[in-house]
Amino acid sequence: MRNFILLIRRFWNIILFLILEVISMSMISRSRNMQGMDIVSSSNAVTGYIYKKQNDIVYYFQLKRLNDSLLNENARLRNELAGRSNIDTFSDVIARIPVTIKDTTAKKDSSGATFTSTGSVKVVRYASYHYIPARVINNSISNDRINYLTINRGARDGVRREMAVVTGNGIVGRVADVSERYARIVSVLSDRKVSTKLSDGTSNLITVWNPGSPDYVVTEKVPVYTKVKKGDSVFTTGYSFFPENVLIGTVARIDTMKATNSKNLKIKLSTNFRNLQYVYVVEDKVGEERRQLEARAKQN
Amino acid sequence: MSIYLRNVLRFILLVLIQVLLLNKIPLRWWSNPGGIPPYTPYIYPLFILLLPLSAPVPFMLIVSFVMGITIDAFMDTGGIHAAACVLMAFVRTNVLAALLPKRLSEYANMSPNIKSMGWTPFLTYSVILLAIHHILFYIIEIWSFQSIGYLLLKITLSLLTSLLFVTLYSLFFSSSINTAYHD
Repeated sequence: MRNFILLIRRFWNIILFLILEVISMSMISRSRNMQGMDIVSSSNAVTGYIYKKQNDIVYYFQLKRLNDSLLNENARLRNELAGRSNIDTFSDVIARIPVTIKDTTAKKDSSGATFTSTGSVKVVRYASYHYIPARVINNSISNDRINYLTINRGARDGVRREMAVVTGNGIVGRVADVSERYARIVSVLSDRKVSTKLSDGTSNLITVWNPGSPDYVVTEKVPVYTKVKKGDSVFTTGYSFFPENVLIGTVARIDTMKATNSKNLKIKLSTNFRNLQYVYVVEDKVGEERRQLEARAKQN
Repeated sequence: MSIYLRNVLRFILLVLIQVLLLNKIPLRWWSNPGGIPPYTPYIYPLFILLLPLSAPVPFMLIVSFVMGITIDAFMDTGGIHAAACVLMAFVRTNVLAALLPKRLSEYANMSPNIKSMGWTPFLTYSVILLAIHHILFYIIEIWSFQSIGYLLLKITLSLLTSLLFVTLYSLFFSSSINTAYHD
């Protein structure tokens, strides 16, 4: 026993070193395997507070650029709204839009639209997304595996895990971890894949980020027969957690892969990750129902 | 100022410099011209470099672990900085023993810095320890040897800029570093 204690005392430095290394390694593997299960993270109260204070100061130096981007987004939204002024998809209430139709033979449609005798139809629409604006208080682009952002909205403001995050003109990522007042977002600059479609309708594609540049992502395995040219826009699909038809970016380069008989598209992201200031957290109101349905399908 | 208070203040100052200033450098467009991958300079290992020579190894290990965990919390890296810091603190004594002419126990109340060691030995010491820190950090971070060139490029870029900031810090705070322990 005495010898054992002497042995421990002699190698105490190495033993302590190994213990500390094992603790850090287990923390690393925990954060890699289970997203949002980190023991230490930037969405806790202290780090969140410090980042918030810093952002309050830096914020004023960016007001001019911020104004411009908000103005652009306003103009884009107004254009979009003018195009579909008779459908109210963004408000919470049920919109009843009378549509006059010529068809007088059918009285009741199978899809649920009820025809009244006057020839007008009541279309019932629910807004399926709710947007929560948030300010980015910490941002990183230099990590090679996963990049995180911290925003100043948390569980108190209705942010939940796995919600999508977008900006006015592009995608940002998804919520990984929520505390009372802050939330941590895994940005698109990580190994997470984004379901993608091209502007001509080619769907079922996947976009990933290759480490090295925060400005580009790669859409892989595009069939060779698809007609793509430089400058084409690329959008999200409704298959994954992002809302449908959000702009990802524009095609910057096209590489044809002889071996797999496909093309790889290098895409310039429309989101500028270097100066993100405001983002929207997207609450999918029918997402839970859809996830339950898909889980049931998987069980059978 | 006592040796403890001085080190606690340096801890806070270095964490704030790292988190509030240096972590924002890769976000600026001028930091990576011509397709250079984004890199971060790390100044916080300087805290471990400047710990007093008389500090016992177990104490140093624990203090560096705390430092690493603090940076991990701010940068969302899980525990990579902690692992790199602990390794750095573990080899520090050996590197110092190899570089300094006398036995370590003869340097009472002294910390390794520019005034006590001289420019060349101090920079050698920082290069060796920072290189150990950066190599372990980026190996765990990237965790693949498929693109060795990319790994080496990131290590080199980060190491060079870290050295620049460590030197700048030593120049700015040289008077405050020297007065306390040097006799």
